[in-house]
Amino acid sequence: MDNIAGTKSSLTWAVHISVAALVFLWLFPTLGLFVSSFRTADQIATGGWWKSMFPSQQNLTLRASPASEQKLEGSLYVIEGELFEEGIEVEISRWGASSQNISTYAAGEVGEFRSGETVTVQANGSYRIESETEISGSRGKRIFVTAITPPEFTFENYQNVLFDESNREGMAKAFFNTLTVTIPATVLPILIAAFAAYALAWMDFPGRSLLIAAVVALLVVPLQLALIPLLSLHNDITTFLNGLLGLEGANELKGKGYVGVWFAHIGFGLPLAIYLLRNYMVGLPRDIIENARVDGATDFQIFVKIILPLSFPALASFAIFQFLWTWNDLLVSLVFLIDSTGETTVMTKQIVELLGTRGGNWEILATSAFVSIAVPLLVFFAMQRYLVRGLLAGSVK
Amino acid sequence: MKKSLYAGAAALALTSGMAVAADLNGEQVTVFGPWLGPDQEIVEQVLAGFAEATGADVRYVGSDSFESQIKVDVEAGSAPNVAVFPQPGLAADMAAGGFLTPLADGTGDWINENYAAGSSWVDLGTYADASGADNLYGFFYKVDVKSLVWYSPENFEDAGYEVPTSMEDLKALSDQIVADGGTPWCIGLGSGGATGWPATDWVEDLLLRTQTPDVYDAWVSNEISFDDPRIVAAIEEFGAFARNDDYVVGGAGAVASTDFRDSPKGLFSSPPQCYMHRQASFIPAFFPEGTAVGEDADFFYFPSYAEKELGNPVLGAGTLWAITNDSPGAHALIEYLQTPEAHETWMARGGFLTPHKGVDSSKFSDGATAKMNDILLGATTFRFDGSDLMPGGVGAGSFWTGMVDYAGGKDAGEVAAGIQSSWDALK
Repeated sequence: MDNIAGTKSSLTWAVHISVAALVFLWLFPTLGLFVSSFRTADQIATGGWWKSMFPSQQNLTLRASPASEQKLEGSLYVIEGELFEEGIEVEISRWGASSQNISTYAAGEVGEFRSGETVTVQANGSYRIESETEISGSRGKRIFVTAITPPEFTFENYQNVLFDESNREGMAKAFFNTLTVTIPATVLPILIAAFAAYALAWMDFPGRSLLIAAVVALLVVPLQLALIPLLSLHNDITTFLNGLLGLEGANELKGKGYVGVWFAHIGFGLPLAIYLLRNYMVGLPRDIIENARVDGATDFQIFVKIILPLSFPALASFAIFQFLWTWNDLLVSLVFLIDSTGETTVMTKQIVELLGTRGGNWEILATSAFVSIAVPLLVFFAMQRYLVRGLLAGSVK
Repeated sequence: MKKSLYAGAAALALTSGMAVAADLNGEQVTVFGPWLGPDQEIVEQVLAGFAEATGADVRYVGSDSFESQIKVDVEAGSAPNVAVFPQPGLAADMAAGGFLTPLADGTGDWINENYAAGSSWVDLGTYADASGADNLYGFFYKVDVKSLVWYSPENFEDAGYEVPTSMEDLKALSDQIVADGGTPWCIGLGSGGATGWPATDWVEDLLLRTQTPDVYDAWVSNEISFDDPRIVAAIEEFGAFARNDDYVVGGAGAVASTDFRDSPKGLFSSPPQCYMHRQASFIPAFFPEGTAVGEDADFFYFPSYAEKELGNPVLGAGTLWAITNDSPGAHALIEYLQTPEAHETWMARGGFLTPHKGVDSSKFSDGATAKMNDILLGATTFRFDGSDLMPGGVGAGSFWTGMVDYAGGKDAGEVAAGIQSSWDALK
């Protein structure tokens, strides 16, 4: 038999290869995103990130200094300068003075613009334009070069996302708002689900199986279905409470708010939480629980003293799931939390705002992904040893 | 007594003209719109002007999924005071559902008097309410012109090309570029979930250039069916550009898969990948950093056929402001948008066109925008983006996907018939 404990399966190599393939499949796009977060929008649009790490040959359109910089040397009007910023090591191989002929001249040769000025470009990017008549035009002349440029990375994206004046405050506010949403929305469902799971697993009452079936059935209800009815319910409740308590104006309770979004997250998280925890708790040894009963423990004591400590891995793994969902959530926050006063924005919403009206700012998207992933990563690494154990929750008896 | 006092105050407010008289100290006015990022900063500035004039506490929130979110908010009863709709079709749906409040009396007259082609703006903002009676619900503020072709003047000069003034010239120029070994057009339809919309603009523009405006209007209201030969001809006219491997960068197969935000970058590459790009007035936001509009990049009017004598039709779009949650502040805000100041604030920051005749056109951020506004004001026919006026399921659904199918090689008649049947299913 192959499966005897202690002997190696003959398919170990297949396992290793598929693990390596899966790891690669996950890491490769992540690495791409990470590299992209250090590139400018134009770089992302013009070349792949895999090329950005090595010096590469590029066709560039560069501009000489504008005509206002020209100097009179004897009878010649001259513009001199550098095509590249200082400190960048480039090597220009070919260049041209017209978009029709971008590689007519070798470095150091003398070329001519359409408008008649002569121009020389050296391999290091310094140029000299000469003309017998005054040079005109408000923009500098275009020079087309084929050059080998070194890799270029920038922290500008992170600067924009985290420290830019216009959204620094918003980002900080969104960060704390997100925590305000996430922490109760993680702790409360676990609390409720643990009680429910214990009851469904170990307490005998009529209709228990039906109740479990109902919980499992709720797992497949898509949350989009409930958005409008739930929000109008929240609005009705707050209108009722406002009438009952006589609240008006600024003190008025609003249908959209933290309490509403907590309830929504709790509601949408509970079915899975109960299902997961119940399956785990059902697998705990019956003897321990029966012994405790014989010794006179109440259900509450059994739950607190025996079940909870034993279920810690399952609790922790669900906590991680729920935390990640609520942290990354945009839809539920948009519907139940973010009202038109703009006070209650969350991280995901803030990132969407950075993307601009028509979206498509990949550099911001890549950077924001790494900014917003920081906290979930911390949570994950702090709790991952439970996650691995907890993933087996309920599957092994 | 008190009533007459209010009436007197209201009369005074009306007669005092442009000054927004309402004192809204501390009242909160919430605005929900589609603008994010840099645009959001600008609209907040405009609203700050309103706050200054009235003392109201104005809040703006933007969303990239405005269309779906406003529906949720309105139906659940947590609507903002004022919503800014990019599509009149959506606003019409809301009005029919009874979720919009008609604008104050006299707003229509004001638009008629002060907007170029005022009556058409009134018509575009007038919808039937729940009981079927027509009311003015929408006030247009910020307009985009779509009939523009972008190009690099320096590339044209280098190659010796002239800006075409008629559709015949434009096609001749395209052929000449091909003969010279270049590629004339950059076309990209990709836009995430909205992939296909740039093609609907092409078809609308070409329909306006091949048929009379009446045909266009009847098509938008589906009195002329989508698979009418005149419409199919316009789609095929688009195909003459987009499905010609020689005409587009990457060949016809790349059209549907290229993102519309990336496609204009081909104008500026070295050597130029393409020479022309047809897109609305907002596209400079996606030009490479440091591109000066009017110098590095410029535009010309997407020309009409010289032989057809249909004048110079202009296709445009715009955002309309409607009141979704009635309050004095909301009406005061609409009133504030009628002041030249509200328009000039955005004009000075760029990317803003307005049909308001009373604004100081020297306030435009650059010559290019002023030139665009001239195209808008000089149009012999102005038509609103048809796909924004059609029901959402067509204008933001089957029309988009149909155009992607067409760009992918499907027959135009078949595509049009498919779109028509999806429209029938909505009736």
